[in-house]
Amino acid sequence: MKNTKSEFISARLAWRNIWRNKRRTILTLLTIIAGCSMIVLLNSLGKGGHDQMIEDAVALNTGHIQVHEQGYWDNMTIDYAFEPSDKLVNYLDSGPDVQAFSERVVAGGLLSFKDTTRGVIIQGIDPLKEKTVTNLADKTRPEGRFLKPGDTTSVVVGKILAKNTGLIIGDKLAIISQGFDGSIAAERFTVVGILESGIPEFDRELMLIPISQAKETFSMMGFVHTIIIRLKDVSSVNKVKSGIIDIISGEETRLEVMGWEDLMPELVQYIVMDDVGAYIFDFILFMVVAFGILNTIQMSVFERTREFGVMLSIGTPPGQIVSIVLIESAIITFFGIIIGIAVGWAGGYYLQVNPIDYSSYTEELAVWGVSTTLFPAKVTTVNIFTTSALTFVLGLCFSIFPAYRASKLNPIEALRQL
Amino acid sequence: MNIIEADKIKKTYESNGLSVTALGGVDVAVKKGEFTALAGPSGSGKTTLLNIIGGLDAPTSGSIKVDNVDLAPLKAKALAEIRLTKIGFVFQAYNLIPVLTAIENVEYVLLLQGVGKKERRDRSVNVLEQVGLSDQVNRRPHELSGGQQQRVAVARAIVSEPAIVLADEPTANLDQKTGAKLCDMMRDLNEQKHITFLFSTHDSMVMERARRLIHLIDGKVVKEESKGKK
Ligand SMILES: Nc1ncnc2c1ncn2[C@@H]1O[C@H](COP(=O)(O)OP(=O)(O)O)[C@@H](O)[C@H]1O
Ligand SMILES: [Mg+2]
Repeated sequence: MKNTKSEFISARLAWRNIWRNKRRTILTLLTIIAGCSMIVLLNSLGKGGHDQMIEDAVALNTGHIQVHEQGYWDNMTIDYAFEPSDKLVNYLDSGPDVQAFSERVVAGGLLSFKDTTRGVIIQGIDPLKEKTVTNLADKTRPEGRFLKPGDTTSVVVGKILAKNTGLIIGDKLAIISQGFDGSIAAERFTVVGILESGIPEFDRELMLIPISQAKETFSMMGFVHTIIIRLKDVSSVNKVKSGIIDIISGEETRLEVMGWEDLMPELVQYIVMDDVGAYIFDFILFMVVAFGILNTIQMSVFERTREFGVMLSIGTPPGQIVSIVLIESAIITFFGIIIGIAVGWAGGYYLQVNPIDYSSYTEELAVWGVSTTLFPAKVTTVNIFTTSALTFVLGLCFSIFPAYRASKLNPIEALRQL
Repeated sequence: MNIIEADKIKKTYESNGLSVTALGGVDVAVKKGEFTALAGPSGSGKTTLLNIIGGLDAPTSGSIKVDNVDLAPLKAKALAEIRLTKIGFVFQAYNLIPVLTAIENVEYVLLLQGVGKKERRDRSVNVLEQVGLSDQVNRRPHELSGGQQQRVAVARAIVSEPAIVLADEPTANLDQKTGAKLCDMMRDLNEQKHITFLFSTHDSMVMERARRLIHLIDGKVVKEESKGKK
């Protein structure tokens, strides 16, 4: 009974003291608002940007998950091929998290055109299914076309590769390589399209041919190198990975199941680096806010020395002085957070609808395997919750010291201040 | 019955290796219903003595009892409780919590004591009426004159019906006329409500109004005089 009343009077005193120095309160509020909104906005830009980069990289050529024969990813030679089991295909067909999947035959080889010869990577794809898994089709330049069902010795070549060798649409080129069975694989292809992915690595050495033709050219006998899987949501990668591992665990061929993080370590590295930078910036902003609150509370306590002296003299328990000061800080912080989060969220939403355009940095980003040029923000509940909670906790922590000091004032000395 | 019993109170302050004797062995006893002034020039030890009696400061030696409670062994929390329940304080100036209205300042003490809302209001209205501020109850301190602020302070000091009201030069910041009126008002409260007052002053106008005078010079009681009721 006594306590609830004291808390009530504490809250009333705290509330009125906040309005006593309006200018200072508003300045503090602005600090918290600016800090919180910037933190929310920065983190949502990071999150949105990273998600977009992952999405774009996954959609371009890599997929969320790939299944290969054990050792394929490290060696990348034609020998590491496997025959997908019905069980695995059924699982991928019916898996609720799987959007689509497609098989590929991948081989290194030599391209020969007129008097130039180049090392290339030949990717045999299913023209229809590939479209459901990656965006390769969309990255085909308008003067040509992507592969279509019924194609046999048609080829789509990377843009840089075309430029370096002088290939244009309609040209005939030869590929020489080794077949799966050890025989010589050689075939003539007609260029039907030019691939412009934006990723130098791909554009320099990639050639796309129909998987049916690839199986024949390389004597695959029903074997493939990769099953590439597109998920409905990136968050179910681990779930689907372990689902696949369960399915194939009893099988004779040892397979490796790799998620996008394993497939694109440079991208992961880029995101981690970017995150570290953002965390440092967040930390600085949090500190600015915390010291802003500390400063305000300290000033307001200092100015009220005599008042606290009177209150303590007439028998106010020191604990109540602490709660007055803490409630004061909590109220300011609370409103600062509410407004700051709202502003940050609004800004984040605006940048979600109107993404930031980084087209002028395309080349720098491409080095990291990033083909994204539009970076939308993405405001997440985790972002909002951690930002508010951390600001609130920091605000209170930084107010404890001045609050405690006010409660430990010597009333006689405090009363001497006029 | 003695409400205050101070025996051989000594207080010395050490500063820069020099010791200053603020009180050099003071005996003071105050009975219920008294209206007593601690009179003495500036620096004579009045504030020091009132602080010790009020449990705000501890003597270097000597013993002090308030309402038969020995203050010596009490810890900060218990002393705060004694100050809250047994003593009313009036200081020289700026006694009030600036963000609270007159009545809220008075109610504050009762709130700390856990008195219910209705009773709190009634008692506060009542004491504000006794100090003549019925029509100023909702004013904040800065909207009141110095004299009115001191009246609110007196109201706050008496609202919890303490054993004694200690007032350290309550009129020092007021002009002669306002000071005299405040003093008269306190004496009315003493006569009509039997509230015990111990206040300090170096103002002869205030001394005239006291029933009993304890003269303090250089930390010693040099003279005591009682005046009969007029
Ligand atoms: N905190 C202190 N430190 C040192 N000396 C003090 C302190 N407080 C009071 N004194 C000294 O004690 C003496 C009595 O002071 P005080 O009780 O304030 O007198 P009064 O209230 O009668 O003016 C003075 O000489 C004063 O300088
Ligand atoms: Mg004094």
